[in-house]
Amino acid sequence: MDLLDLIDAVQSVADGVLFGATYALLGIGFTLIFGVMHKLNLSYAAASIGAAYASLLILAGIEAPAIFVFLMAAVAGGVIGGLVYLIAFKFIPLANPLATLMSTVGLLLLIDEIIVHSTAGVPLNYPALFSDVIIPMGPFNLRGDLIFVFALGCVCMVVLLLLLYRTKLGLATRAVSQQPIASELCGISITHVNVLTFVLTGVVGGIAGAMTGAAIGMLSPLLSLPLTVKGLIVTVIGGLGSIPGAIIAGLVVGGLENFFQFFRGVSERDLYIMLLLFAFLIFRPGGIFPTTAGRD
Amino acid sequence: MDFYFGLIQIIGVHTLLGLSAYCVLLTGQVSLAQAGFFAIGAYVAGMLTVIAQWPLVPALGVSALVAGATACAVGFPALRVKGLMLVVATVAFGEAVRLFFFNFTYQVQAGNIRLGPHGGEGFRQIRYFPENGWTTLDVMLFIWAVVALVMAGLWWLNRSRAGAVLRAVGEDELAAQSTGINITAVKISAMTVGGVIAGIGGGIFAHYTTHIEHVQFGVVLATFAIAYPILGGLSNVFGTLLAVIFIQGFLIEGLRFMGDWRNLLFGGLIVLAMNVRPRGLLDAGAMLALKRLFFSRKERSDA
Repeated sequence: MDLLDLIDAVQSVADGVLFGATYALLGIGFTLIFGVMHKLNLSYAAASIGAAYASLLILAGIEAPAIFVFLMAAVAGGVIGGLVYLIAFKFIPLANPLATLMSTVGLLLLIDEIIVHSTAGVPLNYPALFSDVIIPMGPFNLRGDLIFVFALGCVCMVVLLLLLYRTKLGLATRAVSQQPIASELCGISITHVNVLTFVLTGVVGGIAGAMTGAAIGMLSPLLSLPLTVKGLIVTVIGGLGSIPGAIIAGLVVGGLENFFQFFRGVSERDLYIMLLLFAFLIFRPGGIFPTTAGRD
Repeated sequence: MDFYFGLIQIIGVHTLLGLSAYCVLLTGQVSLAQAGFFAIGAYVAGMLTVIAQWPLVPALGVSALVAGATACAVGFPALRVKGLMLVVATVAFGEAVRLFFFNFTYQVQAGNIRLGPHGGEGFRQIRYFPENGWTTLDVMLFIWAVVALVMAGLWWLNRSRAGAVLRAVGEDELAAQSTGINITAVKISAMTVGGVIAGIGGGIFAHYTTHIEHVQFGVVLATFAIAYPILGGLSNVFGTLLAVIFIQGFLIEGLRFMGDWRNLLFGGLIVLAMNVRPRGLLDAGAMLALKRLFFSRKERSDA
C-alpha cells in the first residue's frame, strides 16, 4: 500500500468517526431508557427518523432558516418520545418485558409505514449545513457538514451529562435506574421520571435523526432498521448503562465501519462490526465500561 | 384455489419459524437469531437438492442438523448474557449470517446455466417440486404434515417433565437453579431444538419459493419469528399457530382490500393487541375459558 492509499484510509476513518456521533447519541438513548425502565425500546431509532421527517414537514409550512430544522427535530423528537411511552409502555404491566418488546416492534413498523405513507416512499432531501465548507488539514480534508454534525453531537452529549449529573431531574433519573423501590420511598414518582426520560431521549433521538439526515443528505424510512441495529451494538459495546461508554463506542463503530468499508468493500462492512460485537460479548461481556454489579 | 393453497403453505412455514422461537422463549430468552438458523436451513437444503441432487427429506434432515448444531454452538457464548444483551447478540448473529450469504458464492455448471448461491443475486432455480411433479396441493399437504409432526412433538414436550423444566427456567432462573436444574444446559437444549425446527422450516421455505436471497432473512423476519409466539401467548403451541393465522392470514392477506392503509394498520394492530392482551391472544386465562366451554358438560356430570 502506498502513501496515497494510506491518506485515503485515514480520511475515510476520520469521516466515519465524525459520523459516529450519530451512533453515539442513539446509543445514549437506548442506554438511558434501558437504565430507567429495564425495558428495550426498539422503536427508538425509527422514532428518531420520524422526528427528522416531522421537522421537514414543519419547515415546509413556515419560512425559517435551515438551522431551525435541528431545533424542530428536537421538539418533534420530544413529542414523539412522549407518545411512544403512552402507546407502547403506559398500559402494559411492568412485569411483562416480552409485551413491551413486541409493542415497540409494532410501533417501529407503524412509524416506518406512516413515513412511507406520507412521502409515497420517496427519499426526501435533507438540508445539510456548511456542506460547501471544506477545511483542509495537511493532506486531509474535513467536510464542513460532518464537522457540524460532530460538534452538534458533542454539545448534545455535554448538555445531557450536565442534566444527568447536575440537576435534580438527573439525580431522580439515576436514582430510579439504580433502585426503583428505594427511590419511590424517597418520594420520587417513577411514572414522572419514566415520562421525562422518554421525552428527553426523544429530544436526543430527534437531533440524532436530523444529524443523520444532514450527514447523508437525505432521509429514507430504510434508515431506521440499520440505525436500530447500530444503536444497539453501540449500547452493548459501550457497556449497558454507561454514557461515556456509548459515546466512545459510537465513535469507534463509526470509524471502524468506514475502515472496513475502505479495505473490504461495502458488502462486507457490517459483517466485521458484528464480529467485533461477538468478540466483545465473549471476552468482555460488560462492554468498555461495565456497570458495577451487586445493585439488586 | 392455488392462491389459498399457497397462503396455507406460507402459514405452515411461518408456523415452523414461530415454533422455533417459541422453544427459546419458553426458557425466557428472546432470540432474534431464528432468521439466521432459518437462512442456514434454506441454503443448506437448497444446495443439497440442487447441487448434490439429493431427495428432499434427507436434505431437510441435514439442514435441520446443521442449523441445530449452529444454534448449539451460538448458544454457548450468547446465553452467557441475558435480556437486552442477548437480544443484541442474537440480532448480530442473524445479521452476520445474512451478510455471510450476501457474500457467499458457490456455483456449479449444469448444462448451459450455473446453479447455486450467487452472492447478492441470491440462489435461483431451486426447482425440486416442479421437477418432481409435485402439485401445490401436494406441497401444502407435505408442509402441514411436517408442521403437525413438530406441533405434536412440542405439545408432548410441553406436557412432559422437560416442558416443566423449560417453564421453570423461564419463570424464575434463580428458583430453577436452586432446585438443581442446570439452567445453561436447559437454555442451550431449547436453543438447539429451536435451531432444528428453524432449519426444517428454512429448508421447506427455499423449496416452495424456488428463489432465496439474503434480504429475505433480515431483522424483519427475525422479529416476525418472535412476534408469533409473543402475540399468540406462550401457554401452548396453538397460540403460535393462531398468531401466524392472525398475522399472515388476516393482517397481510385479509386486509389487502385496504390498499396502502393495510401496512399502517399492521403495526398499529400489533401495538393494540399487546396493550389489550399483554400475555398474548391465547394466554392461560383464555385456555381455561375455552376448556370450560368445551368440557363444561363433563365437569357438571363429574360434580
